[in-house]
Amino acid sequence: MSATQILLSQATQISQGAEAAIYKGRLSDSGLDEEDVLLKYRFHKGYRHPTLDASLTKARVAGEARALLKCLRADVNVPAVRMVDALEGVLGIEWINGKSVRFLLGGGAEDEEVTEEMADGENLPEDATEELEDQLLEYNVSSDEVMTMIGTEIAKMHLADVIHGDLTTSNMMLRLPSPSPSNKTELVLIDFGLAYISTLVEDKAVDLYVLERAFSSTHPASEPLFAGVLKAYEIRMGKEWKAISRRLDDVRLRGRKRSMVG
Amino acid sequence: MPGKIRKRSPLKPPERPYIALGLEGSANKLGAGIIKHSPDGSTIVLSNVRHTYITPPGEGFLPRDTAQHHREWAMTVINDAFKKAELSIHDIDCICFTQGPGMGAPLTSVALVARTLSLLFSKPLVGVNHCVGHIEMGRQVTGAQNPVVLYVSGGNTQVIAYSQQCYRIFGETLDIAVGNCLDRFARVINLSNDPSPGYNIEQMAKTGKRLLPLPYATKGMDLSLSGILTSTEAYTLDKRFRFNENSREGDNDNIITPADLCFSLQETIFAMLVEITERAMAHIGSKEVLIVGGVGCNERLQEMMGIMAEERGGKVFATDDRFCIDNGIMIAQAGLLSYRMGFQTPLAKSRCTQRFRTDQVHVAWRA
Repeated sequence: MSATQILLSQATQISQGAEAAIYKGRLSDSGLDEEDVLLKYRFHKGYRHPTLDASLTKARVAGEARALLKCLRADVNVPAVRMVDALEGVLGIEWINGKSVRFLLGGGAEDEEVTEEMADGENLPEDATEELEDQLLEYNVSSDEVMTMIGTEIAKMHLADVIHGDLTTSNMMLRLPSPSPSNKTELVLIDFGLAYISTLVEDKAVDLYVLERAFSSTHPASEPLFAGVLKAYEIRMGKEWKAISRRLDDVRLRGRKRSMVG
Repeated sequence: MPGKIRKRSPLKPPERPYIALGLEGSANKLGAGIIKHSPDGSTIVLSNVRHTYITPPGEGFLPRDTAQHHREWAMTVINDAFKKAELSIHDIDCICFTQGPGMGAPLTSVALVARTLSLLFSKPLVGVNHCVGHIEMGRQVTGAQNPVVLYVSGGNTQVIAYSQQCYRIFGETLDIAVGNCLDRFARVINLSNDPSPGYNIEQMAKTGKRLLPLPYATKGMDLSLSGILTSTEAYTLDKRFRFNENSREGDNDNIITPADLCFSLQETIFAMLVEITERAMAHIGSKEVLIVGGVGCNERLQEMMGIMAEERGGKVFATDDRFCIDNGIMIAQAGLLSYRMGFQTPLAKSRCTQRFRTDQVHVAWRA
């Protein structure tokens, strides 16, 4: 067994996302410091042709690590990289203590089962708002502040020419602030599985569009919230915003026409 | 948050049998179907007749010719539907027709038939969104309750899930539809359009051996297909490309055959489709997948989706060509559901539209 396999076998699986299985493991640094580490294991997907699967897995693990490092250098809040094994499909990153923005905004937990007949999985709007405030209280932030943080982090990332590729509220976490009062709640962008490097305005606009669609599909009636994201993004992007804004309008239009092409 | 909330369906059981005629003609299939909802809650397909406009190999179907086909066949197909159902038009409650999305001319021809019948026999009209028709029929046939829906056809590629009386689109194609991509490639290698180009690609792919590198373009829950089509077409101009399968001799296996291209195209495109579906399932936490639309009868796609669902501890639901490929019965089913909720389309508002998004429909019959 390789070192990676040993590490995996000692870790506990905590969830299975679309891309990979997530494990919580412990990484020891020459026996002195031990720290929790999140292991993202892209196991073999049975439905994919083995050749395609192998090349995708390898490219994605390496790409994800590369994007994370680029973000870290640009001071974007992302988990730090701890280990990479592209052939085995394992990426080890810093363990973040906190909850997903999706959960905190009342979009339900990711692994929650939406079952049966008429269950639509969502609470009544009033309940949702109340609950939302409760959950955010622990983090000492309002939902508007969360939107500002989202916009700012995405802008920082785009200024570093990293495109996330799968921006949704499930892929953002609020880090639980440590007890000392000077510490502020941080928003951390996670899951760079589809990230890539690009300077194109088109790619940045599509990235925002993906988030906009994710917002409206998971958090109905969230237009004002998303406007807050864009506002903060605009401020942080500065003069680059204009081109992106124009392209975003184009992308939206393109989207609407998609119901019948060809 | 409680995971399981059981809500009462707003749709009351019918107090008497309801019967609807559904007319579909948004692309090259003309369909007429008659459905019955009984007071005991059962749904019976009384007839489901379809006639397809098939063009010669290398050609697609043009709107004008397709519309003409629909006009020529409308009476035959509708009469046939009533004959098979052993009913007369006086027995039905409403006439449902496809209001969009689709090709303009064929849609208009079928809507005209629907309007004429409605006026002649004083039956109310119900306009139906084509995509919602597919989803409702898929749910009815398979019994899937609240699935993530992959809708793949010649004109549409969408990943859909239900939430708050609306079928929300989570992901879709950024350019051309899957069926369109397959159909156009079939034209490039001159495959027959009978029974459908997609079916012939599927058969040909079974003998393909070589997986050629093609772009793999998923963007979040969206995907892009036009580049894949271009790349696949480019292989037909490659020096290694041999149109004739049999030229693969002994040790000279560095050649590319049409079968290899069909195989590579299918493997790549379907892997992308399964991936975005899986992402939507993970995103909303559903364990059921329903595949609808013409491409949905591809068995390789169903197989791949099945493996994915199994790996996630879920289940895949799919239908065969009677319900996957465009048909009249699905329009009747979706139309009758909204008719039972009191919805009708007045004559003045019965015009069709080529652009009618799945999420524009108020799904009154679900909680």
